[in-house]
Amino acid sequence: MAYLSDLIGRLVTDIDGERVGRLKDILACIQGQMPHPEVVAIVVERPGGDLIIPLGEVAVLTAPVIPLLKHLKDITPYEPGEHDLFLGGEVLDKQIIDTNGVRVVRVNDLELARVDNRFYVLNVDIGGAGLLRRLGLGKMAQRIAVRRGKEPPPGVIAWHDVELLPGDQAMRLKVPSEKIAELHPADLAEIISDLSRTESSKLLDSLDVKMLADTLEEVEPDFQASLIESMPDEKVADLLEEMAPDEAADLLAELPQDRSQELLKLMEHDDAEDVMRLLAYPEDTAGGIMTTEYVTVSPELTAEQAIAQLRATAHEAETIFYVYVTDNEGRLVGVFSLRELVMAKPETKVSEFMHRRIVSVDLRDSQTEVARVIAKYNLLAVPVVDDQNRLQGIVTADDALDKIIPTAWKKRLPRMYH
Amino acid sequence: MKTLWQRLKPIRLRLLALLAVVGPGIITANVDNDAGGITTYSVAGAHYGYSLLWIMPLVALALIIIQEMSARLGVFTGKGLADLIRESMGVRITAIILSLLVFVNLTNTISEFAGVAASMEVFGVSKYISVPIAAVLVWVLIIRADYKLVERIFLVASAMYLAYAASGILAHPDWGEVAREAVRPRFSFEAGYVTLAVTVVGTTIAPWMQFYQQASTVDKGLKPSDYPYERIDVIVGAVFAVIIAAFIMIACAATLFAAGQRIETAKDAALALRPLAGPYASTLFALGLLNASLFSAAILPLSTAYTVCEAFGWESGVSRQFKEAPIFFSIYTVLIVVGALVILFPLRSLVQTMLISQTLNGILLPIILIVMLKLVNDKRLMRQHVNGRVLNIISWVIVIALIGLTVILVLTSLFPALSGGATGLPPLNTMM
Repeated sequence: MAYLSDLIGRLVTDIDGERVGRLKDILACIQGQMPHPEVVAIVVERPGGDLIIPLGEVAVLTAPVIPLLKHLKDITPYEPGEHDLFLGGEVLDKQIIDTNGVRVVRVNDLELARVDNRFYVLNVDIGGAGLLRRLGLGKMAQRIAVRRGKEPPPGVIAWHDVELLPGDQAMRLKVPSEKIAELHPADLAEIISDLSRTESSKLLDSLDVKMLADTLEEVEPDFQASLIESMPDEKVADLLEEMAPDEAADLLAELPQDRSQELLKLMEHDDAEDVMRLLAYPEDTAGGIMTTEYVTVSPELTAEQAIAQLRATAHEAETIFYVYVTDNEGRLVGVFSLRELVMAKPETKVSEFMHRRIVSVDLRDSQTEVARVIAKYNLLAVPVVDDQNRLQGIVTADDALDKIIPTAWKKRLPRMYH
Repeated sequence: MKTLWQRLKPIRLRLLALLAVVGPGIITANVDNDAGGITTYSVAGAHYGYSLLWIMPLVALALIIIQEMSARLGVFTGKGLADLIRESMGVRITAIILSLLVFVNLTNTISEFAGVAASMEVFGVSKYISVPIAAVLVWVLIIRADYKLVERIFLVASAMYLAYAASGILAHPDWGEVAREAVRPRFSFEAGYVTLAVTVVGTTIAPWMQFYQQASTVDKGLKPSDYPYERIDVIVGAVFAVIIAAFIMIACAATLFAAGQRIETAKDAALALRPLAGPYASTLFALGLLNASLFSAAILPLSTAYTVCEAFGWESGVSRQFKEAPIFFSIYTVLIVVGALVILFPLRSLVQTMLISQTLNGILLPIILIVMLKLVNDKRLMRQHVNGRVLNIISWVIVIALIGLTVILVLTSLFPALSGGATGLPPLNTMM
């Protein structure tokens, strides 16, 4: 086991013990069979310019003075490829994403381990012990740990839990790595809120539209607006189509009028229409927070037909736990739960098992009122109707509560300086 | 035919773009005129009349050049200054610079609370009431309220800086003389004059400003295309800050110096203005001091905590729980609590502490500038936006001048006999 920060600065000599230069950096390849990058070359700082020497020419990487196996003139310099990472230049002291702990941390040191005569980057040190060692106080860190009678706090994360930030190297992260793609959108949103604007937009650029939409739905509209500010209009239009209409409407409401009109024109007609309808209502009313993606059936259907219709039409619906029943005019006449539908005999008509006493809210009711109704009747969603009792949308419990109890990290989003 | 409104569209759009970008430069410059600054400018005016006025245009020039570089670093790298130092220079240099910064900012925070105490005493409120209230207010406001809101309140309140311009005008200075003195260099080697000149420069160009402004540029998400506007923001902010500083000097020069009255603190200045320039000038002066002190007391500890945590990768953010971000909250709270306590229980060694602080300030600034010059000339970071040759030459002249000034300051503080006693260190007297 060796630390990168210990190795950097060590003297490098050739086979005769003649000084070649000092170790400046170590190159590791991130595309091997192992999940850990394998050390492939070292960078030696020389008065005439840096020299990259393949690891195969290095006798002992971890020696106090690092000897090479040949004379300098017999060594062919190593050509860094696109999967090679400069550990000192691109990783050490930089910010990385800890995908396990879902946070952005800074690399204090890298732990290299020797396996079968090859060197791999094993762990990333992000703890105080690593900092103290870099300050030349490593012994003190140990003493403190001994006095406290326990092991120093871990402060290290395994390389496979680490994701590099896009940073200056353009090629990586163009495709989202599996580690990022597997994160829950809410976690990804939290990471994005920890990053600077430049870095967060690079990270967002690497996501596909679906993931991007899910992630953006997890952040507050004003922060969303600032994140998409520099994206091209076509991409934002795709994104808005992918987002739930209520979220898309919230986002559009945050943008300057010119741009939101432009975006609506670029969106597909159906999606744009849904969104425009929602935009007409004030943000803090039932109309403003509802979604238009719900499922309705006619009272004449049988339970079996109703299930078939759900299968065919309900892909986009925000929730199918409640199925609303509307007449030909679109008036809300009943509601039943998925459970009631499944339990009903296949040939029973919807009108026979639906509830006729319906709790609903008006388009103009305040969001607090909506939340109160949902809490009072223990609902998962509440239908929103107009003056003629025509169904206009539904507000799900999470959306209603969201406006009243923002999640912890949402509170953090107002950043420090603006 | 286009209507006038349509014709104006390009101009309107540009104006809107400018307004959207405005902030980092102007806010930083506003915080710059804090309690220490106001005291220094008042004492300079009261003791030496208009004769220190000539250094202000030079200070403005230096301030613009330094702050422009920090804004450029922020816009083109998308990273804070502490981030860049850590990523390019490693742990040791970062640790040295940041520990100096924390100490200097602690002493700055102390002088902000001294400013709160002094300004409220003008209205007859004891410091044992005003300082604890201010400390709790600042702590709670930032931790529990929306930062954006707080900043807006302060920004609006910072229009109060115009109070100093009003005080200056109410003091009826001889404008012809003011104009002449502003451009006529005077080289006096009297120790008090030299030390005060050094202190004026040091308090106007403070090390925290580069960190703060760059971080806020980054946090505002300014893009390269916003840069021309951000440069205007920086220049306007710096010029505004220096003009306000000059007005404070003028107000005190026209009244106190002319009447032969000597002061030691900003509170003295506020009280002494009353008979000479009328009660409004005095009240405005005190209100301006209160606003400046509160604004800076709110921003300095927070920005220090953010800077340190950013560089070392520790969790930060005001809406986290203490357990999640212990270091962030510790730095923030300790700065405020210690800053306030020192005022309530003046220690014997306080003068010594402030002396060390002034000196460290002077040592830290050239270090930061050299580091900044290295970063801003790094082609890998800045690509084509590195400094031009002329800018580099001017910057190095500034660095060398600042080092020279620091050497003078250190010498005079080591050998107080040279500076003719305590007159040379006015900000220290805010504390007494």
